[in-house]
Amino acid sequence: MRRVCALVPLGDPAIADPFAAVAAAAAVAARGGGQASAILLAREARRGDAALAQAAREGAAEILRAAHPALPEAPQAEHLLAAFAHLLRTEARDGLFILPAGPVGEELAARLALRLDAVPLGRCTDIAWEGRTLLARRPAYGGRAEARLATEATLCLAAMRRPAAAAAPAGGAPAVRAVTLDVALPGDLEPPGVAEPAADAPRRPEGARIVVAGGRGMGGAEGFAQLRELAALLDGAVGASLPAVDAGWAAVAQQVGQSGAFVAPELYLAFGLSGTAQHLAGIGPGTRIVAVNPDPEAEIFRVAELGLVAPWQEVLPRLIGRLRRA
Amino acid sequence: MQVVVLLAGVVDPKWRLDRLALRPGAALVDETGLPRRLGPFDEAALETALKLRDADPAVRATAVLVGGPEDDALLRAVSAFRPHRAFRFGGAATSLWDPRAAVRLLGAAVAAAAERPDLVLMGREFGDGDDGTLPPALAEARGWRFCGLAHAVTLAGDGTVALRRMRGPREEILRLRPPVLASVTNDRGNRLRHPLLKHVMLARRAPVEAIAPPPEAGEGAPALALRGIAAVPPPPRGGGACRLLTGPIETQVEELATLLRRWRAVGEG
Repeated sequence: MRRVCALVPLGDPAIADPFAAVAAAAAVAARGGGQASAILLAREARRGDAALAQAAREGAAEILRAAHPALPEAPQAEHLLAAFAHLLRTEARDGLFILPAGPVGEELAARLALRLDAVPLGRCTDIAWEGRTLLARRPAYGGRAEARLATEATLCLAAMRRPAAAAAPAGGAPAVRAVTLDVALPGDLEPPGVAEPAADAPRRPEGARIVVAGGRGMGGAEGFAQLRELAALLDGAVGASLPAVDAGWAAVAQQVGQSGAFVAPELYLAFGLSGTAQHLAGIGPGTRIVAVNPDPEAEIFRVAELGLVAPWQEVLPRLIGRLRRA
Repeated sequence: MQVVVLLAGVVDPKWRLDRLALRPGAALVDETGLPRRLGPFDEAALETALKLRDADPAVRATAVLVGGPEDDALLRAVSAFRPHRAFRFGGAATSLWDPRAAVRLLGAAVAAAAERPDLVLMGREFGDGDDGTLPPALAEARGWRFCGLAHAVTLAGDGTVALRRMRGPREEILRLRPPVLASVTNDRGNRLRHPLLKHVMLARRAPVEAIAPPPEAGEGAPALALRGIAAVPPPPRGGGACRLLTGPIETQVEELATLLRRWRAVGEG
């Protein structure tokens, strides 16, 4: 087994779970009988103190704390790329490097691989070695199929989600090194403008304890207004399927699925959702699903714990009324 | 302003993939009998290109469908939207599983469309085998500025491309100087229009332009080989048995409300 190392960009609010990379690296390394390392990248060294403890808890046996004082408060991908590329060129010329799954981590993994003449593996669900051959599994066909890929390359980059089962923590305190970077960062980047958030901007479904989601079966924006009402009563967030976002009933940030957000709430309330593999791929395996759908044969009932075979119009107003009275 | 939209197509998601497998002796997926269509992100990228064309007469929009002869019907469907030019790029053995090889192929496809592209648009996932790796990889390989998951793209008067995207909790507006590659995500604002029937009929009769990749686009041993492909069932959840509520709807809703009240109480406690 080759070196397995997590790359963790810290302080970027666009990365929902940066330490998923450490947990995934630890799980991959443990299956091969080894231990994972982690590179934590931040603007200031002190920002790494809490991160250090968390990386250790997630299973990193060796940790490199890298600080680059010139990193902007809100770094762009180009800044992170320059810093990580420098680190990998100077600290490790081969191995498997894992970034947290999500738009930022996946972009970094792909671009770092091209920049370092490495092999990009994409968003993998499993990585192992067979002799010198790295074997990766990743979803394909919208999550309806799984591809098995192989490479002999010695330097690979992947993005991974937090594994369902955490690896045992590394025994003892991790070995820690610190480095301050002075590699030149791109200086000609205009910072992106930030659109003023609407007063009624929806809460994002990632991180919510309860997600109330709707699909094509909601039939229009009116149904989503009721979903928002229900979500507010439950202190939850609203999620949506791709067709519902396409139709303009929900914002793109609310899209859950293979091609949207990955959510792992305790409870997922699914209204008017058929339960396609593409949508289910965005829901954590430990999440309990309650489904409301008028079609008793809908796929969603194969994965739900509790179901109501009824149109949402018969359920949502009654449910909201009862919860309001409670 | 040269706008190139790269399209991949996907197997129609309504069709079952039970027989999906590798072709004997080849690292290519056998999709025989599975109809292909534009994926939702292909559609978003194409509509974005059409909007730019409609907004500015200086825009020349070229659509490139990457695939083999089996995709000719799909190319005709794309031609019906009347981009300035539409052609197919690739052969019967076109494969995008190895990102490094795919990037060489896609770079050649863009070069065949425009000598100096200003804006290249792709869906946020490019075809059935990509999970979002190919757009940033292509941008990196070509030295183009990259914006991932753009949901709106316009041309600013100062020659820059303005792109809106959600990055974590905030909506960003990037102004990038060409050449730019943007991966486009689906949104209400870029839902693909319907083509005019007369254009559909014209596209059905028109000859298909197909361009074979230059030999150098296929050079080099694959760095990542496809070993296998198989349909997978959704992961089991909830013990595999859903308890369907029965009885009057009022009773069912009350049971669900009771469950949610308990849930809410635990969260507040």
